[in-house]
Amino acid sequence: MKQLITASNLLFIALLAALLWPSAGQIPWHLLIVSVTVEAIALIRLATARSAESRRGAGDVGAVIFFVLLAWYLATTRFVVLDKMLFPQPEAVLKLFVAELPDMLKGLVNSLILLVSGYLLALATALPLGLLVGWRVRLFHAVNPFTKVLGPIPPIVYIPYAIALLPSFRAASIFVIFIGAFWPIFINTVSGVFNIPRGLLDSARVLNLREPTLLARVILPGAMPSICTGATLALVFAFVLLAAAELIGANSGIGWYVKNFADFADYQRVIVGIIFISIVVTAITWGTERLERRLLRWRS
Amino acid sequence: MYEVALSHVNYSYGDHLVLRDITLTAEAGDFVCLLGPSGCGKSTLLRLLAGLTQPSGGAITLDGGEITGPGLDRGVVFQDYSLFPWMTAGQNIILALEQAFPGKKKGTYRDIAAGYLEMVGLGDAFAKLPGQLSGGMRQRAAIARAFAVNSPVLLMDEPFGALDAITRARLQDLLLQLWQQKEGERKTVFFVTHDVEEAILLANRIVVMGLNPGCVKGIFPVDLPRPRLRQDLYKTEAFAVMRDKLVTVLHENILSELDEGQTMSTPGDGI
Repeated sequence: MKQLITASNLLFIALLAALLWPSAGQIPWHLLIVSVTVEAIALIRLATARSAESRRGAGDVGAVIFFVLLAWYLATTRFVVLDKMLFPQPEAVLKLFVAELPDMLKGLVNSLILLVSGYLLALATALPLGLLVGWRVRLFHAVNPFTKVLGPIPPIVYIPYAIALLPSFRAASIFVIFIGAFWPIFINTVSGVFNIPRGLLDSARVLNLREPTLLARVILPGAMPSICTGATLALVFAFVLLAAAELIGANSGIGWYVKNFADFADYQRVIVGIIFISIVVTAITWGTERLERRLLRWRS
Repeated sequence: MYEVALSHVNYSYGDHLVLRDITLTAEAGDFVCLLGPSGCGKSTLLRLLAGLTQPSGGAITLDGGEITGPGLDRGVVFQDYSLFPWMTAGQNIILALEQAFPGKKKGTYRDIAAGYLEMVGLGDAFAKLPGQLSGGMRQRAAIARAFAVNSPVLLMDEPFGALDAITRARLQDLLLQLWQQKEGERKTVFFVTHDVEEAILLANRIVVMGLNPGCVKGIFPVDLPRPRLRQDLYKTEAFAVMRDKLVTVLHENILSELDEGQTMSTPGDGI
């Protein structure tokens, strides 16, 4: 029983009380459902947590969420201390989120096509090139100066030129995402190859592995920790560039969605769009983290 | 099973002479221990035998043919990093088997690998990653790999140097047992160590090396009967005499050797 008296649960009860207060007028159902769902998840995590540390973690995260929701609700709905246009009410935003979901999902498909094409293109080129350049000393010395010069150029500066150069917006944004994702993967793959312990390379040489086998079964997995770092970084870059490209030239997609409604000062939809993007990014990050853990299982 | 011969081998790293005029021969089926203080170039000598580096002068021959690079006719066990950490013990052995005996069925490799793991007492470790094994188990798996490939020459670079005394003793016994199974098919072994007792227990002949530059101070046959049992051997007079002799040779001139060189450490040692 004592375990249930936590900051998270107290804030949840306070939030419930605020939402259900008799004089509050209509009950904000969407907000209520979200709050109850968060509390349910927090309680399940609390019950299934294996260590005291992760139990506290679940509680703390819940407390932060309830605090933000409570503050948002009170400041916009009960006491209206914030500007109404710039700070929409949580209930209105959530209602709109549900209504806009089909449109946003359609936009998401368009965005993901760009993101995935550009990113996979970068992965498919930067990874093998990085392995080869890291492995062949002469190639490295030939390529390294160019990497040093071209790598640090912020890929956003390519956007206007890419749009002018390439036939369609789609091609231009795939190109920019590709460039942005290419360098982090390439540079980290090369340094990953460099950081493979010499002893392991000796072991491989002693086994007389042919070069393709060597690259696939020793150099690639040996460089994998660094490759994962680069690939994660590249994904972040790809997202930023996707949003930037859509802000500039798209007519659909999640970045375009936010930018379009900001132009019309429809900040409700702007916030809806931002929440949607954050959910998408969280889902993708969760997936890549699991993949990374699988790939690097041997390190633990 | 191969005869290995080094004649007048020199090795320099930059301007620094690491090994000077090394001449020695190992008969087929010989067990040679390279014994010396750190920095004497014994590991470098093993790397030359493995073909990982080339001598600056002289020749190393394997059954008459000169060594030009690494080859599967020489199995190598390092102190560390012998196994690839991202492959299970079984996969590590299978990878080596695929190189040594190409074109067999997957199941065949699996069976052979499992058999050799069983042989070194690691029957349960087939699907375990090196990170899940203890240091001694990792070295067992590395030895299993070397024997699975069945190379006629076995090169071991302080393979038990990082293990605790009890594990080390077990692995020494295991190695001897594997090595002396069949008289005519014994591998020619080069074993690097700085442990005098380990050398006497294992070797047919002990090559004592000196410092600055690395050189052969003497070659001592070990005429102790086999199979050698640690507990009996250590009590014998012959063992004590042998040990005293080796320790004396190891230490003689060691101070003057250190004075001659400017530094104790040898640049490029362990390359």
